[in-house]
Amino acid sequence: MRALPLILAAGLALLALAPLAAPYLQFVLTVAVAKGFAALGVALLLRAGLISLGHAMFFAVGAYAAAFLAQAVGINDFLLLLPFAVAVSALAGLLVGAFLVRYRAIFFAMLNLAVSMVAYALASKLYSITGGTDGLRIDVPTLMGMSLEKAQFDQALYYISLVLLAVVGWLVHRYLKSPLGQALAAVHTNEVRLEYLGVSAWSTLLAAYTISAALAGIGGAIAAVAIGHVLPEYAFWTESGHLVLTAVLGGIAGIAGPFVGSIFLELIHTVAVGYAAEAWNLIVGVALLAVIFFLPRGLFGLIESAAGVKDHRGETEL
Amino acid sequence: MRKTSFMRPIAAAAALLAAGAAAAEDKPESLNLGVFTFMSGGPAAYGMPGRQGAEVMIDMINAEGGVAGVPVSATYVDEAQGAEGVISEYRRLSEDPAYGFMIAALSSGNCLALAPIADQLNMPTIGWNCDTHQLYLGNDYQFFYRPNGNTIAEFMAYALYFLDKNPDVSRVAIINPDYSFGHDAAEIVKATLKAVKPEVEIVAELFPKLGSSTFQTEISRLSAARPDVIFSNMWGGDLENFIRQAAPRGLFRTSVGVFALGESALQSVDVPEGSIVGVLGDGYWMSPDAQEIGLAAPFAEAYRAKFDADPVFPSVKMANAFLVMKAAYEKAIADNNVEWPSKEQLAAAMEGMSTTTMTGEMTFREDNDGVVDQLVGTVAKVDGKLVMTDMARYDGETMLPPLGEDPIAWIGSLTPEFLAAMPKPGSYE
Repeated sequence: MRALPLILAAGLALLALAPLAAPYLQFVLTVAVAKGFAALGVALLLRAGLISLGHAMFFAVGAYAAAFLAQAVGINDFLLLLPFAVAVSALAGLLVGAFLVRYRAIFFAMLNLAVSMVAYALASKLYSITGGTDGLRIDVPTLMGMSLEKAQFDQALYYISLVLLAVVGWLVHRYLKSPLGQALAAVHTNEVRLEYLGVSAWSTLLAAYTISAALAGIGGAIAAVAIGHVLPEYAFWTESGHLVLTAVLGGIAGIAGPFVGSIFLELIHTVAVGYAAEAWNLIVGVALLAVIFFLPRGLFGLIESAAGVKDHRGETEL
Repeated sequence: MRKTSFMRPIAAAAALLAAGAAAAEDKPESLNLGVFTFMSGGPAAYGMPGRQGAEVMIDMINAEGGVAGVPVSATYVDEAQGAEGVISEYRRLSEDPAYGFMIAALSSGNCLALAPIADQLNMPTIGWNCDTHQLYLGNDYQFFYRPNGNTIAEFMAYALYFLDKNPDVSRVAIINPDYSFGHDAAEIVKATLKAVKPEVEIVAELFPKLGSSTFQTEISRLSAARPDVIFSNMWGGDLENFIRQAAPRGLFRTSVGVFALGESALQSVDVPEGSIVGVLGDGYWMSPDAQEIGLAAPFAEAYRAKFDADPVFPSVKMANAFLVMKAAYEKAIADNNVEWPSKEQLAAAMEGMSTTTMTGEMTFREDNDGVVDQLVGTVAKVDGKLVMTDMARYDGETMLPPLGEDPIAWIGSLTPEFLAAMPKPGSYE
């Protein structure tokens, strides 16, 4: 068990050094980490056996919240954009979750999908507010009042994202170890017994749903300022599907899983697009099939076996 | 935006310094370009002719010895992968010193996202197709140029043409795809009609989803609305489906279709004769100007030999983007008297540049928007082929709002006299 934290720390160090070796990777990795946060949100709900096919909505809510604060209100400092985006997406998660966590299985998945497509439609149709399908621009934000060049800001953003990854990852890890987090798995295995124990499944799930929306919001805010442009596509159902795929591909057994999945997918995508502009869809698809066939526990399974983790008791099965 | 006025001299000084430092730039072995277009999904129907135009143009440029003696090669990037994929590819290519110039992009959303990044990375870039008038509104870009005109001029030209062609038109219907491009076009057409012929009534305004396979509901509603004119800026598969489904139901027997991007569909679907179609900008390879300039005929021949089809206007737009790029290199070399220009010299050379493309004259305005003429015509069958006849060529300058003015408000300030002063259908021969 001791080996796991070491491997994770090494992975984080590797991420921190990667841009020095290949500068253009910095952007790809920033976006990968951003999507990793959203995928982590999806993974949380997967632990309770709930598949959300609409989580890209909260990613988009975070991104649009950051864009609004920056462009419409004129407050454009990343250290304000980020908490604002997270607060707005958590609030959205709380409101939507209050209705949706009553449902299970396919109904939960489809209702999430439906709500997210409403958000997508609003983002693409409210022209005067959201800029329609052309989206909204975000200028390079300041950082604690310092105005930086784009290149410097991107670098700072990347390392802030890595710090967030470590801190938020640890917090989520603690949450999952807490009674509130443990109850999530119980919702999946035996919800009736959970209720008999006096724990409300509804509030357990609502807390998880709100946290998962907030995680997606972190990702949305990072992606928005990294890309510099926010588009309704962020909320499209294919993006939601992508997040579920990322979570499953990376493995939901550990916090690192969704991030590993996200980085893997973004790198495959970048390589495929660079070397086979016309067949990139195919290459990404084949890579996914390979992981699903040969690594049933996701990429995180590889890390676990390297760390010698063999005890999978008390874990959620998909 | 205030900041830019005093930033200008600083930027110019920086450019000068950079120019001094870069004056000794050596000629590279090859000029590598990133070319961004849609190569998968529905929009590929429009994006692939663009890519094919690029391939043919690269062959033609290289056959003549390349750009200032340097052969051109291109890396194609698929825009269907979404904004963040497009941006990361743009960055990856830009940060690779082997790449000197970008031709990006087709989609307006992608151009809006890439323009600030071009400035951040100091990468001279030409938007080859995106035409949203939002691009340069209130933005002052140094490295992002668009030589193909914007939506204001494009869709105003159609409104003016059909008013001239059908002077007693009183009922107009609009059916555009449901995204910014479609909604912008509807706004522009409505504003133009209101200004130059206020008594025209808009009887239907429909926005079917982009990529719909059936338009039967919309066709029923259009039939019931009895419009004299149906304006549409649908394109690619949507336009073909719409025409295929509407023609058998007799829609075009009672209403004249105005298909703003119709030239690109003339080879693939039976566009009813008498419909008003055109190209965005002046990129019609058979236009009199194109024939006079003489580049379009060999281009079309090479295109036909390679792809067994006539070029359509996306191909021509792409080819023109390459010609503008070539002119920029030549001007930058001459301006600075260097072997090979730096990126800053290239961007500076494009400021206010005028050049002759395959199909006409193009001049960059102060905001980096290209002024090009607008070409509209009527479909007729000549020698068994659908072509544009009865054409009018609208002067690009008069169709654009003055710098810094709100475009829709400017259209609102036009009067019926503006229409009277415009060239008439058939005047361009």
